[in-house]
Amino acid sequence: MIEKTNKKVVEENKNIKIVHDATCTFCGCVCDDMELHVDVDEKRIIKSKNACVLGRAWFAEHTIENAPAAMIDGKEVTIEEAIEEAAQTLVNAKFPITYGLSDTTSEAQRQAVAITDYIKGNIDTTTSVCHGPSGLAFQGVGESTSTLGEVKNRADLVIYWGGNPAESHPRHFGRYAVTPKGMFTPNGKKDRTVVLVDVRKTKSAGVADILITPKPGKDFEVLWALRALVKGVKLSSDIEKETGVPLEILTDLAKRMKECRFGVLFFGMGLTMTRGRHFNSGALLALATDLNEYTHFVAKPVRGHGNVTGADNVVAWQTGYPFGVNFSRGYPRFNPGEFTTVDTLSNGDADAALIVASDPGSNFPKKAIEHLKNIPVITLDTKTTDTTKLSHVAFKTSTYGINTSGTVYRMDDVSITLRPAFESPFPDDEKILKSIKKRVHELILKNSHSGGASGEAKVAAAVNPL
Amino acid sequence: MALHLKLHTQPDVPLEADCISPDRMQSLKNNEISSMTVFHGNRQVKLGDFFDCKGTFDGEITIDGDLSNIKHIGASMSLGKIIIEGSVGLHTGAGMQGGEIIIEGDASDWLAAEMLDGKITVKGNAGHMTGCGYRGSSIGMQGGEIFIHGNVKNETGHVMRRGLIVVGGDSGDFTGVNMIAGTIIVFGTMGIRTGAGMKRGSIISFNEAEILPTFSRNCEYQPTFIRFYAKYLEKNGFLVDPSYANGSFERWSGDSVEINRGEILLSKHKNK
Ligand code: SF4
Repeated sequence: MIEKTNKKVVEENKNIKIVHDATCTFCGCVCDDMELHVDVDEKRIIKSKNACVLGRAWFAEHTIENAPAAMIDGKEVTIEEAIEEAAQTLVNAKFPITYGLSDTTSEAQRQAVAITDYIKGNIDTTTSVCHGPSGLAFQGVGESTSTLGEVKNRADLVIYWGGNPAESHPRHFGRYAVTPKGMFTPNGKKDRTVVLVDVRKTKSAGVADILITPKPGKDFEVLWALRALVKGVKLSSDIEKETGVPLEILTDLAKRMKECRFGVLFFGMGLTMTRGRHFNSGALLALATDLNEYTHFVAKPVRGHGNVTGADNVVAWQTGYPFGVNFSRGYPRFNPGEFTTVDTLSNGDADAALIVASDPGSNFPKKAIEHLKNIPVITLDTKTTDTTKLSHVAFKTSTYGINTSGTVYRMDDVSITLRPAFESPFPDDEKILKSIKKRVHELILKNSHSGGASGEAKVAAAVNPL
Repeated sequence: MALHLKLHTQPDVPLEADCISPDRMQSLKNNEISSMTVFHGNRQVKLGDFFDCKGTFDGEITIDGDLSNIKHIGASMSLGKIIIEGSVGLHTGAGMQGGEIIIEGDASDWLAAEMLDGKITVKGNAGHMTGCGYRGSSIGMQGGEIFIHGNVKNETGHVMRRGLIVVGGDSGDFTGVNMIAGTIIVFGTMGIRTGAGMKRGSIISFNEAEILPTFSRNCEYQPTFIRFYAKYLEKNGFLVDPSYANGSFERWSGDSVEINRGEILLSKHKNK
């Protein structure tokens, strides 16, 4: 009791600022109902009301580190020197790649696309290692989609496939899809049937009315069987032997899907990153499309990083493609498997890399990391990571949503404006990238003029004044 | 004497050399061929920076060296012949409209993607997406023939519309996925999910295969046309055991999630 009172007194003596309707950018839910209590003197968030356990940790761990804002080969330099070195490195490269972008603002993402366009490089985002297969499936099959608001207000059948939101997106159930009361779901969970399809029983199983556990690696077959059942095709009961799911359960699910008012299929990396990858996502998207013959059905990937959806959106509206885009011939070309970063690194194609807000140095395949160690890498990150440690040029930047305003996209492609909590001494990603872009453009113009100004560069200068 | 290109400098980043095509080179002198533009990463350079050029074009181009980092050779070609002495990189023969490519080594991914006509022979293995459509395309290979003596990886014949693909070894997953029509013959074993989403077309294998639940078994019979195919394959360098060609095949039709007009024929011959 005495301890509690003392704590209160200490808090009362502090210079506390409260930020209402702030946004958590830790996961793709991008909850924008945070109430942040900020210790202005210590520059840290001491309380994050409404945040889940992951969100609280995200806000609590972001304090201001005492570290240089820019380094070249591990030595502190001025930001201007680092920008010059970064620009020179990128302009001199024959196959420069840009990667990451899922944990920064869309304003910064936009600058990264422009840089890659100028240097005729290759741009890819962390989508290629999480929901990239879904991106491919969207191109092949199409996407029947909706916002999470619609799901909250209308969905009476909610299916989670290959994900564990209880641990990865803790507020997905409460804020959007399972328990909230909506316009046409006034009784919340009581008005919904929740189905969970996963190869193992996870913490999310608790919310499920129906739990389906196929054999590992058999999601495609189960989805294919459901497509057939929805279309009225008779299947053999051997399906249980093959998939681990009895025919009666599949028949019942197909019936529920056809008879619901508004159904939604949320899918995670348990589906997209297992054998079959984009065909697994494609099968699920095709199932949602088939169901629209009978009722309203949508499918949505449950996205991980705070602004990975923004990365897809920005890269798509600037290049026409969501990830794995190459500009080496002066126009955008899309070819995942060739222009995705794991491939450009593992095949030894890239000769310089600009990595924004990502750590491929710790989570990429060994071959890709080995190649990353052999080429000049430029990083922008809020923290010291394995990738910043192997970088030729490293910028320390401020954290989006905590120190920096800007725009992020929720997993349902709804854009949300960030309300920062406190200022950082470090510049934000957008500012650094803008400066690199400016210098890159100057160097390109200079190079083309010294070699007898190419028409292409002149046109670029005329249509893209900085 | 054929036109002979010899790789003298290995590119340090991928080289895109779609100019290596009989259509483009047939009327050029050697010095003009050497000054043709290729893309070394994002730099436009000359073909002569990487290749020595000798001989004269008589309908044939031979290429020597390790070409595994060189892409788009023979892309969109419509006539003549290219003989590649070693292995070759991505997109070889993509969009090919005629003529012939012979690859003595291995081919990489997207071999003959969206091919329209012509013939490709690979003496070694091929990568993923052989004869497929590019991402977002609804039609892959639309004609021509691809003979691969070794193995292929995943998605062989993805959305193919017409033509023939023959694989002497094994094929990966999703062989003939979303196939619209055409024929795929696999001598070895096929990976999982063969013919998923196929509309029409034939996938023939001399081995057993896992069949999706959306395919239904029709019958066991001895298809006459396979004997004719066997003769044609022998002419193209494949050894076909007559007991397979004359033996029984199990016929499965599918895919019932589509229009169910495709067929998978699996040899029932047991002396394997
Ligand atoms: S669900 Fe995600 S966005 Fe919402 S508070 Fe938790 S971590 Fe943050």
